[in-house]
Amino acid sequence: MLLRLIAFGLLFASLFAPTQAAMDSKQIYQQNEQRVFQVRVLNRETGKKSSIGSGFIVGDGSQVATNYHVIGQVILEPELFYISFISKDGQEGELKLLGLDVARDLALLGAEKPIGEAIKMSPLPPRGAPIFAMGNPLDLGLSIAVGTNGGILNQTDDSRILFSGSLNPGMSGGPTFNERGEAIGINVATARNAISFIVPSRFLKNLIDQAANAAFEDEQDLKVEVARQVLAYETSYIEQLLETDWPELDLRQFKLPGVISPTVRCWDNSTKLSAVARYKRYQIRCTNQNHVYLDEDNKFVGRLIYEYFWLESEDLNTIQFYNLYENLNKDQIESKMDRDMVSNFNCKTWFVEVSQQELKGNLCRREYVEYEGLSDVLFTAALTGHKKQGFFITVIMTGIDYSSTLPLIQRFLEQTEWKP
Amino acid sequence: MEALILEINTRGLHRYHCIDQEITTLGRALDNDIILSDPTVAPHHLKIIRYGDSSYELVNLTDVNPVRIENQQLDTLVGENLPVNLEIGRVRAQLLRRDHDVPATRPLAGHGGISLLFGHNYWAVLLVLVCLCIGGLEFFFNAYNSVKWSNLFKFVLRETILTIGFFVLALAVLERLLVNRWEIRQLVTSICLVYLLYYVTTLFSKELSYLFSANWPATLFHLAWYLVLLPAAIALYLIHISHLKRGRSILLAILIASPIVVPSLLQSSELRSLLDDFTSSAKYQNNLSAWNWHLKDTVTVEAFIKQAGELEPGEFAD
Repeated sequence: MLLRLIAFGLLFASLFAPTQAAMDSKQIYQQNEQRVFQVRVLNRETGKKSSIGSGFIVGDGSQVATNYHVIGQVILEPELFYISFISKDGQEGELKLLGLDVARDLALLGAEKPIGEAIKMSPLPPRGAPIFAMGNPLDLGLSIAVGTNGGILNQTDDSRILFSGSLNPGMSGGPTFNERGEAIGINVATARNAISFIVPSRFLKNLIDQAANAAFEDEQDLKVEVARQVLAYETSYIEQLLETDWPELDLRQFKLPGVISPTVRCWDNSTKLSAVARYKRYQIRCTNQNHVYLDEDNKFVGRLIYEYFWLESEDLNTIQFYNLYENLNKDQIESKMDRDMVSNFNCKTWFVEVSQQELKGNLCRREYVEYEGLSDVLFTAALTGHKKQGFFITVIMTGIDYSSTLPLIQRFLEQTEWKP
Repeated sequence: MEALILEINTRGLHRYHCIDQEITTLGRALDNDIILSDPTVAPHHLKIIRYGDSSYELVNLTDVNPVRIENQQLDTLVGENLPVNLEIGRVRAQLLRRDHDVPATRPLAGHGGISLLFGHNYWAVLLVLVCLCIGGLEFFFNAYNSVKWSNLFKFVLRETILTIGFFVLALAVLERLLVNRWEIRQLVTSICLVYLLYYVTTLFSKELSYLFSANWPATLFHLAWYLVLLPAAIALYLIHISHLKRGRSILLAILIASPIVVPSLLQSSELRSLLDDFTSSAKYQNNLSAWNWHLKDTVTVEAFIKQAGELEPGEFAD
């Protein structure tokens, strides 16, 4: 009887034990309005804002998390800009950089003294659960956007959560809360209405741990650190690509590498031809989604683009066909770079035997001015020796270690198979 | 008393007057021995007096635009030395001995060798027809859709007839102004030859680029065409067809070619890359050839990757 009474008592106690109730957006806002700031990059000469974002208190109460892209200008021109925060009630102060995770677009900043209570971090709630993004949209004051968790996106190398709410410029770096008011991520980007992206909080935890062990020094050249992180991420990404089996796709008489990673999406890019065209062309373009923000000038790096192009004609004679084929063989790198950002391309030509076919290949590389070790690489190869059939394969990689791209190009060529 | 010759420079053919009287007067008035109708010439401008000992005296008769002798303003000059350069108003003249040497006779275009091409109308017509055929072939070889005759006609009209026609007209007007003559037949022949030369060398340079797997043949041709071949073709025309002096022909050729050369070079990526040492595009060797003749060996994928590892980094621009 006593045992039954104890068991009943435990059951009763468990039913009525205090649990953390789900909060609505108003409660989350009120709970965190003093812990979410506007993070600003100020010009040392004019004292005016050059860029703004959001940030929130983490770690020991003196640390502020935000996005790398919010404060990227300070890394490029530290002598001209500095970082500061301002709270909803007007409290403000200077922040210094403690740590960076460039690949995930995170930055950890530090104030001279604790500035409030740190926001607790939590794993991601189930897909479809409501989540709340706080920040300072368009410098209009602190606000909260409500949406749902769309899950972790594997096409972004698991570094982004899809958020159905609307993030606006200025909210970058702000926290995203679950219903218990715990930060599950950091606002980072928006694609269009109600398609926004959040960085999972686990990456921020890692950054806080790393910064505790090795915070930046005052005179450290941060561009070197940015380049190091980008290179490490991209090299690891290429290694992952090389470790997996690549599915194949067919394009007319070629068997080619297909979607080589969950981070890659392929689209048919064939141009609609006029009804009187005397040739056929087919184009498949694959791009990765896990780009890395580098800086205001260079924008995103870490692009991997590979494209296949097939051209055939029964009606054109050989001269006509090759005139068309040559006209289509143009520089395909999308680039608005100038001399302050990158070097000239250095290109070289080879004739390479691939699957018993001869390809005229061109390999080009150029280097980044500010980031030592980073290169853009363009490889393109055109089928030769056929009178009425043409084929290009193009592989473009940006912001990457040149030597690490060669095994990838080799794999592409080795997995290119001619079907007689 | 030996007669002297007064050479009066005019566009095209000069005028010559025999000075065989004791006193010869020059001016705009109709009672002069030699009448110069230029408005800068005074009614009575210059008097030439001959003496028995083969000397002469030049006497200025006007206060407005007085005669300049050997670039100096003199009221009178007595002398024996010839030739003497005179400026009568803006008319230039030379006083010469009768036995003054003249340059060797230039053969007419069309007499012997390659210049036969310029001597007959049928050559000009034939070359125009060849150019029209080349224009048509260019359209045909670049027609990737079904060919329409109206498009062919428009292309040939725009790319061949109007191009050749424009240059013939422009150069004919220039020739008229320069040497006071029309040389339409020779002009048509020359322009057609230049058109064909351009077409053939363009094709040749593209194939050379593929053969060497390098852009330099096409770049070299592009620059050579505008900086050397085109001015040289015009200069040769002026020297051999218009019979102008060599130095003057070269200067005129540069002047005539410059409205074509300067914009073409400014727009050309080849020159831009020489003037501005930075470009954001990858200038790789994108030529493709149906003949597929190349000097480079075909390598395996492994060899390519090994060699690619030695590709030098891109150079930073200044």
